[in-house]
Amino acid sequence: MTNDSLRKFYGGFTALGLLVGVLVIVAYYQDRHRPWAAYQRAFVSEEIRRAATPVQRALAENTPVQIRQVLLPELNRVDRCTTCHLAVEDPTYGGYPQPLAYHPLHDQHPFDKFGCTICHRGQGRATTVAEAHGNVPYWNSPMLPLKYIQASCGQCHQAADNPAAPELARGEQVFEASGCRGCHKLEGFGGIVGPELDRVGARRSPEWLKRHFLTPAAVTPGSGMPPQKFSGPELEAITLFMLSLTGDTVPGFYASMKVIPSATVGRRLFQQKGCIGCHALGGQGGTTGPALDDVGLRRSPEWMMQHFRDPQTVSPGTVMPRFGFTETEARALTEFLLHLRDQKVALSLPSLMSPVERGREVFRAYGCAGCHGPDGKGGVPNPNAKTAEQVPALTYVADGYRPDELARLILNGQHEITPLDPKRPPPPLYMPAWRSTIKAAEIDDLTAYLLSLKPKGEDLGF
Amino acid sequence: MNAPLPKRLWHWFARTRVGRSVFRVGLPQSNLERSQAMVSSFLLHLQPAKVNRHALKPGYTLGLGLISLYLFVILAGTGLLLMFYYTPSTDRAYDAMKDLQFVVSAGLVVRNMHRWAAHLMVLFVLLHLCRVFFTGAYKRPREFNWLVGTGLFLLTLGLSFTGYLLPWDQLAFWAITVGTNIAGYAPVIGPRLKFLLLGGNVVGQEALIRFYALHVIVLPGIAGLFIAIHLWRVRKDGGLSRPDEPADVVEQIAPGQLPTNKSYGLMELARGMTPQVGLNPEDEVFSWPHLVFREVLLFLAVIAVVLFLAIFWNAPLEQLANPIHPPNPAKAPWYFLGLQELVSYSAFWGGVVVPGVLVVALVLLPYLDRGSQGVGRWFARERVVANTIFALCLAVAVGLTVIGSLFRGPNWGWQEPWKQPPAMTEGP
Repeated sequence: MTNDSLRKFYGGFTALGLLVGVLVIVAYYQDRHRPWAAYQRAFVSEEIRRAATPVQRALAENTPVQIRQVLLPELNRVDRCTTCHLAVEDPTYGGYPQPLAYHPLHDQHPFDKFGCTICHRGQGRATTVAEAHGNVPYWNSPMLPLKYIQASCGQCHQAADNPAAPELARGEQVFEASGCRGCHKLEGFGGIVGPELDRVGARRSPEWLKRHFLTPAAVTPGSGMPPQKFSGPELEAITLFMLSLTGDTVPGFYASMKVIPSATVGRRLFQQKGCIGCHALGGQGGTTGPALDDVGLRRSPEWMMQHFRDPQTVSPGTVMPRFGFTETEARALTEFLLHLRDQKVALSLPSLMSPVERGREVFRAYGCAGCHGPDGKGGVPNPNAKTAEQVPALTYVADGYRPDELARLILNGQHEITPLDPKRPPPPLYMPAWRSTIKAAEIDDLTAYLLSLKPKGEDLGF
Repeated sequence: MNAPLPKRLWHWFARTRVGRSVFRVGLPQSNLERSQAMVSSFLLHLQPAKVNRHALKPGYTLGLGLISLYLFVILAGTGLLLMFYYTPSTDRAYDAMKDLQFVVSAGLVVRNMHRWAAHLMVLFVLLHLCRVFFTGAYKRPREFNWLVGTGLFLLTLGLSFTGYLLPWDQLAFWAITVGTNIAGYAPVIGPRLKFLLLGGNVVGQEALIRFYALHVIVLPGIAGLFIAIHLWRVRKDGGLSRPDEPADVVEQIAPGQLPTNKSYGLMELARGMTPQVGLNPEDEVFSWPHLVFREVLLFLAVIAVVLFLAIFWNAPLEQLANPIHPPNPAKAPWYFLGLQELVSYSAFWGGVVVPGVLVVALVLLPYLDRGSQGVGRWFARERVVANTIFALCLAVAVGLTVIGSLFRGPNWGWQEPWKQPPAMTEGP
């Protein structure tokens, strides 16, 4: 019974045992031979090649091959990018090809506090090229192309405040000037005809955004958004601005660094804090304190900083109170005052403006131009609308409406747009009700502005 | 003696003082030692010293029960390793998956093994159930073991389902959302059951911690106990079913036949076939080596298959769970897709009545089908009615599962698998 009938078992044990052994070895090999190790060995040999002294050489030779990572618990991120990009902090690697290139300009955003993916996106935990760069299925945040990298500044910083991100500021200008807010809400402010844009930068790719601006219906079937006539640079800028809208909020330490002490921020502070009540700029404002147009020539930045901290320490006996500015605020105000040295600035203070001027600002801020055209000149298509298949121009509203009628129309909106041909789909664009959004004072200014649009001296005698 | 080196080493070690203390007998050389080997080893003594030849026929059992057991063992082992890295928190679970994939030594292959072994276990437990049905092996005296087996089938589904949520990706989140919604269709208790499972009305942190506790402690514990009972009952019920077994297998001595004021040994209490000794000694072989060698061989084969799958195919991992962005269609785990397909016709009939009737039928089966004919043979002619009904139910279940898995596209509309819509390029 035994030996012959058992012989086949020993054959089976040997074969299956070998198979399991081979599979274990394959699994082990797969696990040990990670692609990043090759990059690290390349880096080590480059370090050895560059070593000038025996000590440096010994150091280089003893560089361990291991995962490198930046732990960012507050951001809930782990960035392992430096596992392959080993020389990001070493300026002597400037000009090296990737993955060994040096990363310039990171003083404000040190790696150990910010990592990489907060700006570049991609998948920080991953350790293979494709996965880490994020161009893989089931990863929603691929690396941001470098030409759009300024979009990442806008995740934390106000677009206009950041002198280092001019493209971002430009994109925001295009956004506001094109009247996108007329239909789209952003940060709770804007129309309701189109979708909110608060997280659009995390949801859409640059390619999608660009196609969408030029031919909205091609990427979103049934979209009523009029095709936008952006120039090439405008298109890139507004795409970049859209990409900055990720809706992410940054915690604690990072939030404290959001405000960049730039001249733009200083200017806003100057207006908000009511400095104009005592100090004049461009001939407007109070006379209790000195005019500030040329203060940058008279005082040093250090003097100004100290003056903002505590006026008495540098100007004993001054009547200027201690405002308790933060360091960032003081720096921003200083930047603004220094900025005045080079450039004449007239503050557009609402209280000093005429109703028509303020109304123009309201018209701009709520994105009315998005549908009614710049300065209400019209020309935006609204297929199948009885009004020549366009959103009506506003140039001659003065002839058809009294101010109170016009205000009522804006507040209540007009949801039903009379179609040109009842058989075709109804016109996609309509006038939303602005009642809950627009402020009472603003509506008066807006109607004043709209009624002023009619060209002077043109009276058709109705 | 020309024995291979490992065998000679083993012989030498088994005869040393240490070896004797561990194994008591060395490599058995005589029938006495073969019996001793079985009864003196903790693992081997679960099995009898001799087994019927019929039980060893690969074509009879197909090894399905044993494969299921091995998969359970693999799952317990790999699951324990995964527990070292996993945190059941909605903030960290998904990151743990990524870390397993990218930095933990052998993390990916262990997770893959766990995933594929889990799918295989559902499959093989179901196949084992089919084998037992088609061979009529649930009949007297094995009715209770069929019940334990049915419990193990449901436990396997529960284990797989609770594990499904743990990666906390889109696949996990929405599969569990759909699955627990199906549970919610049950009348009266449905909504409460769903709330109890999820610890709330939607899948969230509470659901994750509950599923985790169920998955790593409660269900494996119960399943382990049930497996022990299941194996023990196989022995106590006279070994595996076979065609020529005596009609009356286990019979306790009736009360009154023995004085009641003394204690008895096992042999005095049971009459008939317990412990199982075949009527015909030629039909019996020693468990060592005939059974044990086959078991070891099968174990190696199962390990090889699971390892092979784990090396060459990665377990799925989609985007981080996003409660406001459901995939279209959102699908339950594959073994519930037949159910989901039924639910798409009627929530009440498909989600409650049909599965309820099926489970009750499985439980009652050995007590309803009481004929003793056709046991121990595949597709016995005497059992043609029962086998046909079972095969039809099985075919419908498989058909519905295939439709639900492969032929359902957006909005649960008909979608041929070879005409998939373009993959979604947008994020959540």
